[in-house]
Amino acid sequence: MNIYRRRRQLCSIVITFISLAALVAVLFPYFWIFLTSFKPPGLVSRPDVWFFVPSFYNWEDVIVRGGTIRYIFNSIIVGMVTVAISLSVGSLAGYSFSRFNTGGGGARFSILAAKMLPPAVLIIPLFLLMYELALLDTLIAIIAAHLTFILPLVTWFLIGFFDEIPRELEEQAMVDGATHFQAFYKVILPNILPGLGGAGIFAFVLSWNDMYYAMLLAGGDSKTIPVAIAGYWTFRGIEMGKMAVAMVAAITPVLVASFFVQKHLVKGLGGGGLKY
Amino acid sequence: MQFLRLPLKYRLLIPLIVVLLAVLIYPLIFSFWVSLHDYRLTALHEVQFVGLANYIGLSGKMSYWNALRNTLIFVFLAVGLQTIIGFGLALLLHRPSRFRNFFRAVLLTPMFITPIAVGLMFRFMLNLQVGVLPYLLDKVGVTIDWFSPRLALFSIILIDVWQWTPFMLLLLLAGLESLPVEPFEAARVDGASAWSTFWKVTLPLMRPVLIMALIIRMLDAFKVFEYIYAITQGGPGERTETILWHIYKVGFRFFRMSEAASMAYVLVLVTLVLVVALYYNMKRGEYRP
Repeated sequence: MNIYRRRRQLCSIVITFISLAALVAVLFPYFWIFLTSFKPPGLVSRPDVWFFVPSFYNWEDVIVRGGTIRYIFNSIIVGMVTVAISLSVGSLAGYSFSRFNTGGGGARFSILAAKMLPPAVLIIPLFLLMYELALLDTLIAIIAAHLTFILPLVTWFLIGFFDEIPRELEEQAMVDGATHFQAFYKVILPNILPGLGGAGIFAFVLSWNDMYYAMLLAGGDSKTIPVAIAGYWTFRGIEMGKMAVAMVAAITPVLVASFFVQKHLVKGLGGGGLKY
Repeated sequence: MQFLRLPLKYRLLIPLIVVLLAVLIYPLIFSFWVSLHDYRLTALHEVQFVGLANYIGLSGKMSYWNALRNTLIFVFLAVGLQTIIGFGLALLLHRPSRFRNFFRAVLLTPMFITPIAVGLMFRFMLNLQVGVLPYLLDKVGVTIDWFSPRLALFSIILIDVWQWTPFMLLLLLAGLESLPVEPFEAARVDGASAWSTFWKVTLPLMRPVLIMALIIRMLDAFKVFEYIYAITQGGPGERTETILWHIYKVGFRFFRMSEAASMAYVLVLVTLVLVVALYYNMKRGEYRP
């Protein structure tokens, strides 16, 4: 009996150790970037300095003097418009795919395939198209590009959420005299509201995080925050401090959002087959 | 107003079809058209049809094959490590414990961060002169140049592991939690050890989720770009050139759009094969008893 108890004790020590190691591996980079953002310019390139008088030089420079506020604003507009279009278009289509099985398995498969398409195949025509339309370096170009992967993703998520709503719900509403479309937006939509919220936040995060399309279609005044971050790297110490600030600004809202979407993500990705 | 007479199920699809035609279908066709022509931005009035010449030309391009090889190494090593670590952590977090929800929420955060920030963060932290990790390693007497020609690709793989193991963890944890309890009770009654329970019960039951997670992750890993842009720009030499980076270089730095488009289309084919596999796996999973 004693051996078993000792073995179990050993086991729990190992588990605790691994958990702590994983925790440190995840948290240390955040900590270090946060620390760096408050270092005075002379100390940024000194990995041996961990304690110092915090300086707001970098923060002032990036937030007040630099254009970061503007780039954050660009990112927010792109994200919100993309999410709004994706949710409204995606919920209509998702409902059709889910309830009427429109197009059968082939249609669902196309949605999945569209979402997985490598961006390299779309960037060339999108670039040439925006060039022709004189839309390069505008937010419209980025929004169009983001819709290529976010709209299929949102539709795919919503198909899964609609699949879980029992049919009786809308049938009841229609017996009570509502048209099918009224039943959809008065009864079904409110029922998947949490799912819509989760998909919307996740879609916003994806749009917020994209650098590939944003950089190639709008590298000038219409920069989004990831493109701005990339621009801070010049390998001089002083720029690293500013970059750290831009990173903290870009990462923090997403970390907060992540706590709200984790639950919906599993359900959405698994097409309703997985539970969390 | 003819379309108003369509059945509701088709009317609901009209917005989706319109948007996707504009931003996805038309560009896809345009891209294919470009790949069949000799298309140069500097000479748009003399675009020539060249058939499959761009595709055939790829077979002789060493940098293209090099980029493909690097990408395959990247995909298999990164996704392999993520699966092993992710599964391990999932089994660990699956046990009830006081801090489980906190642990889980924190461990999942890396997958939500913009990859360019992750790339630059690690470029800063791993840099031999100013980085904190080489500094700490130096204290215990180890000196590693993470971005030397030999290690650069491997370091980028590790960065991908940092960011995307959480994704594996998320899906596998959800998979573990949706497993039925009866087989595990039966195994316990039969006196199976934890080791053989894992191999004979957990793993077979987890197969559909595992395959799904693997394919989704592989599809994403093929698109690795930001770390390369942030850290090595394909170097040293061409050692960390991945396929997406190579297409970017050929298309947007050398402006050989046709060649880039043909490479992108080859990538689409690879993607489609994986997506078909994913779809059939998901469909089978749905009808699991």
